[in-house]
Amino acid sequence: MIHRFPQAALEAYLDEALPAEDMARIEKALRDEPKLAHELAALNARRDAGLHSLGAIWRRHRLSCPSREQLGSYLLGTLSREMADYVEFHVQMAGCRCCQANLADLEAHQAEADEIVQSRRRKYFQSSAGYLRRRRR
Amino acid sequence: MPASSQADKLLVQRVRSGDEEAWNELIARFEGRLLAFVESRTRQRARAEDVVQETFIGFLTSLPNYDSRRSLEGYLFSIAAHKLTDQLRREGRRPTLPLSPGTSSGASSWEPRGRDRPASSILRSGERRHLEENALAAAIREQIVQWQRRGDWEKVRAAELLFVRGWANRDVAARLGISEQTVANHKFEFIAKLRSAVRRQGLPEEVFPELYADSPDAGRQDDDR
Repeated sequence: MIHRFPQAALEAYLDEALPAEDMARIEKALRDEPKLAHELAALNARRDAGLHSLGAIWRRHRLSCPSREQLGSYLLGTLSREMADYVEFHVQMAGCRCCQANLADLEAHQAEADEIVQSRRRKYFQSSAGYLRRRRR
Repeated sequence: MPASSQADKLLVQRVRSGDEEAWNELIARFEGRLLAFVESRTRQRARAEDVVQETFIGFLTSLPNYDSRRSLEGYLFSIAAHKLTDQLRREGRRPTLPLSPGTSSGASSWEPRGRDRPASSILRSGERRHLEENALAAAIREQIVQWQRRGDWEKVRAAELLFVRGWANRDVAARLGISEQTVANHKFEFIAKLRSAVRRQGLPEEVFPELYADSPDAGRQDDDR
């Protein structure tokens, strides 16, 4: 099966910038189709020759990436509707790997924070539940 | 996404002076996102942690060359991407590429920047390329900000899918639920703005092939918004 990847996707592959599943797809195709390796080598040669690509510049400078604060607000549900829609688009459809990583990190922080909250509540409960039982007697 | 913030610049300045507390703070601030970036590919926490560790070491060793006007986060992600590429290649997951089309030097490993070119050549062409790239980045940023201010999110989305993902007009149209002609019009507008920036700044047209690949695939048509 011959895979056709857009040039922008191959450029992003060279920069390790595609979403993980797309990276894996290209790696698989590279093993199956030696011609693809030459296509990628040609892209490297174009870069070495000094040619620019809009997608690579856009990605490298992160020209449309939401800030980390905006990603945090997105998770808290406090972004405007249109900005929240854009964040979803940028992370999921445009597949921005750096923003995906930031979002995953923020979510992990949130989960850790939840654990801390749960542990504190458990401590309050355990230290006070005895008093509750005494009142019921 | 702004370039390096003032807080980042100060932090890096402290790290440069050997302040261990600042280094600890930098690690704490960035390790989570770097780990998420790497782990999405390695799928193994221990290996991902090794790559992040190498990333931080790489940052310190490359610190004399780090331009603090550049985004600190972007710089760290780029080091992580290189270290991750090396790791995946060692594991045999990332196939080695021939150095140039028509050759098949399996023995040579691929690096994003041509390592075997003479340093003077890289430095000279690197400077020129850097200027061209920054000029075009500024023009793209200006257009995106303008669209965002006007609430033209559809245009931002269309341009991102067309140029960052490299999707065809019809695929962008289908995903965004708009006509192909509308996508073509957005593309036309974007390219025209960038061509104008290239002209205004006296940049060489031939180094931006996408902008001059063919005549824009549509003029402004009836359904232009």
